[in-house]
Amino acid sequence: MDRNNCRRQVAAMKQSLFDQGLLDEQFIQLEELQDDANPNFVEEIVTLYYRDSSRLISNLEQTLERNPLDFNKLDTIMHQFKGSSSSIGAKKVKAESSLIREYCRTGNAEGCRKSYQQMKKEYVALRKKLENYFQLARQAGPLERACRPK
Amino acid sequence: MTLVVDEHKMNDKFPIGMRVLAVDDDRTCLMILEKLLLKCQYHVTTAKNAIDALNLLRENKKNFDLVISNVHMPDMDGFKLLELIGLEMDLPVIMFSVNDDLKMVMKGITHGACDYLLKRVRLKEVQIIWQHVIRKKKGKRSNSDSVNGIDSAVIGSSDQNVKPYRKRKDKNENDDEEENEDDDDDDEDPSA
Repeated sequence: MDRNNCRRQVAAMKQSLFDQGLLDEQFIQLEELQDDANPNFVEEIVTLYYRDSSRLISNLEQTLERNPLDFNKLDTIMHQFKGSSSSIGAKKVKAESSLIREYCRTGNAEGCRKSYQQMKKEYVALRKKLENYFQLARQAGPLERACRPK
Repeated sequence: MTLVVDEHKMNDKFPIGMRVLAVDDDRTCLMILEKLLLKCQYHVTTAKNAIDALNLLRENKKNFDLVISNVHMPDMDGFKLLELIGLEMDLPVIMFSVNDDLKMVMKGITHGACDYLLKRVRLKEVQIIWQHVIRKKKGKRSNSDSVNGIDSAVIGSSDQNVKPYRKRKDKNENDDEEENEDDDDDDEDPSA
């Protein structure tokens, strides 16, 4: 019953990510788009997200270092970052991003910096968790195939 | 009312194979949108910015049936792109954005967008975008009135009863329900 075991573990891990509020239903939408033509679609999307958003992270950190803080610039980058994060269903990252944008609107530099630290923590933690998830999912394989450790 | 199909632009299996140009500077969003469009069996070309999109369209507008574009892009405002496409190619354009501010939506429609979708775009919404191609063609054929922008949106909803020229595949069988969801009016339509 290895196959079932694997699949159960994958399901449990996924459920846990949802229970912790790390992912939202957009992630499910992405999984529904996965098919024979793109069997690793979700993993590819998440990989692309982390690759592209790392540039945004650099921009964010550069912007946050400056004094006085350019709130408009920060908000523009955050708009992009939030949209991208939302598209993969990164619920907490998205929520923290909204918070930063609020602080931008009210011109609260300390709020921005503190929220950013929190957001980055969530962002990094999610990456690790998703890496583990995809690794396990690959082992479980699509439903028809047996569970084989790679 | 019979619809005359322009053979140069549409194939027998429309909306399957409908040629869509998708534009978004966010590669993640663009890849997801592309997949949504492919799921509908459309033919998809992607562009990462407005300038690339315009170049592709200028090369040959007959290569595309519809454009779907993000509003907020760094190189050119999506509304500007919308205007230029309206002027130069007159293709149906659907805008999308994270921003659902009424003023933005209004701006999109008044600038000539056939529709304004809110991110995160859903498969169901993408499954029915082919209707805008038909409406636009129909609008061009009724020479009397100029049917663009707002008018198109209004006329479109009252045409729900017109069966478009298309072959149905299993995947699209749900479209009957989806068509109604596209209504600007409410579902109850006693006059049908």
